[in-house]
Amino acid sequence: MPRQERLDQVKVSDRMFMFKPCVGENKYPGIINSIMHAMPRLGVEPVESDEQTCCGGFLTFTNVAEPTSTMPAVARNVAIAEEMGLDIVTMCNGCYTFLTEFTHFMDQRPPVKKVVNTILSMIGREYKGTQQVYHAVEVFYKLKDRIAERAVRPLDGMKFATHYGCHYLNGFKNEAIDDAFMPTVLEELITACGGTPVEYEAQRECCGTGLTQVILHKEEISLPHCQRKFDSLNEAAPDAVVVQCPYCLAQLDRMQHKLNWRKITDYKVPVIHLNQLVALALGVEVEKLGFGAHAMSLDRFVEKLPPLEKTAGAREVPVG
Amino acid sequence: MNEGLKDWLAGFDKRFAELTHGMVKDLEKCLQCGKCTAQCPAAKVSSYNPRQIIRDLRMGNVEKVISSQELWLCFFCSGCYAVCPRDINFPFAVAMLRYAALGKGHGWNEVKQIKDPYAQDYYNSGLSVSHVERNVAIRETVAEQSRTDGRITEVRKRMGMPDRVVSEEALAEIRFISDATGMTDLFDKIEKMKDVPKTWNYGSPADLVKIKRGPNQKFAGLDEEEEAAPAGTGAERSE
Repeated sequence: MPRQERLDQVKVSDRMFMFKPCVGENKYPGIINSIMHAMPRLGVEPVESDEQTCCGGFLTFTNVAEPTSTMPAVARNVAIAEEMGLDIVTMCNGCYTFLTEFTHFMDQRPPVKKVVNTILSMIGREYKGTQQVYHAVEVFYKLKDRIAERAVRPLDGMKFATHYGCHYLNGFKNEAIDDAFMPTVLEELITACGGTPVEYEAQRECCGTGLTQVILHKEEISLPHCQRKFDSLNEAAPDAVVVQCPYCLAQLDRMQHKLNWRKITDYKVPVIHLNQLVALALGVEVEKLGFGAHAMSLDRFVEKLPPLEKTAGAREVPVG
Repeated sequence: MNEGLKDWLAGFDKRFAELTHGMVKDLEKCLQCGKCTAQCPAAKVSSYNPRQIIRDLRMGNVEKVISSQELWLCFFCSGCYAVCPRDINFPFAVAMLRYAALGKGHGWNEVKQIKDPYAQDYYNSGLSVSHVERNVAIRETVAEQSRTDGRITEVRKRMGMPDRVVSEEALAEIRFISDATGMTDLFDKIEKMKDVPKTWNYGSPADLVKIKRGPNQKFAGLDEEEEAAPAGTGAERSE
């Protein structure tokens, strides 16, 4: 069950800054496109910026750059949203981790913040710490009733498994909106979209990326771990797995593809991002969701989709 | 077994502050309950053992930890932090200990694998993951499914999304931050540094193959022949 106290702190405003993740840009563009189309249908105007770069978290946790180098980069990205006066919505657990951890670290330690601002002042920016960082799942959960009300394509009869991603629930066991061990947020969102949540045994297992895992670790460590998860997942045979992190999406999608390619297994569970699920339910055209970039084919999933409703409930929702 | 028998309570915080940039504290609160290791996905498939690493740090065996191969096996899933009754953020400690290991010359080979291409892409384009798909098999599959040539820029175009280009000003800004804070120097250093070999201090590579199997269950990377992975996909460096 979600934490009411934490949920109350989430404020959804008319305009919000969409923090675009690297994997969402260059591997699975559907993640970004779907939230850009879904948000206006929920009455939120999404704002994006070409000034925004990678959060820098990937380089920090892989020890290629020290926190002292990436903290100003994080502060700079947050400062862009601050200049617009907007709260940030991240759609990646990694971006959420680094924006939250580092802004928290700076806010708690004024001397550190001062040093970071000295560096930022040389490029004409300043980190103030006035805006909030949210995860897309928090915003969508807050708008859950609106999603259910405006779902013009309720996903009736579709079965979805869930995968939360470690860097949101585990890494923020005291700050995330849901419990780290028995989360229900995604399941409730799936129900709001008209779908049916499916359980599987390895639901809370790590996807296996952990930022470095495929790159640093030898295959004999990473692949058996993934295989366990996929075995359990394929046994449950959902129509798709819903994830809330682009990295989990990449890992679950591409590792299944890789194992199939090696003719060891025959996995066939497609993986979609929460943004794509919500956009689907809200009636965004399938072509705009970027399913073509997924390694596990979504053709059967798309065939199974219920048609768009043209009823009174399916009215056009005004933007803004 | 202890490198230096000291009263570990004396100046414990300070000794760790030096090692971990002051970002990790509370390691002395560890109860040695072992919940972290019980749920650890890396501990399931290797001799990596968070509980033992914390114990070694408390006993002063810092050298043993940072010269170990196991230090580089953590998945960063944060499961240990989630179950910890004392709220010790151990993944953070691992990240910081890895910097300490680099200081002693261990782990430069690991870091090198990430520097090219990810860190280089960050410096050149502002994004750690570039639009170039380096995995041939994925490119073929995407080409087939999206009915394009498989390039992500084409897929984006079909969806009505322009290319993602970080603005010139923004690039200049992050390059300035990178130069001013020593990130660029570190990139150069990664190119040059030679790795000091690490040792298996908590077990052996043989522990990797002691995996429980279901009936007729085969594991990729363990049971198949090397040749089964054709060139271009075996060493999948793109995520």
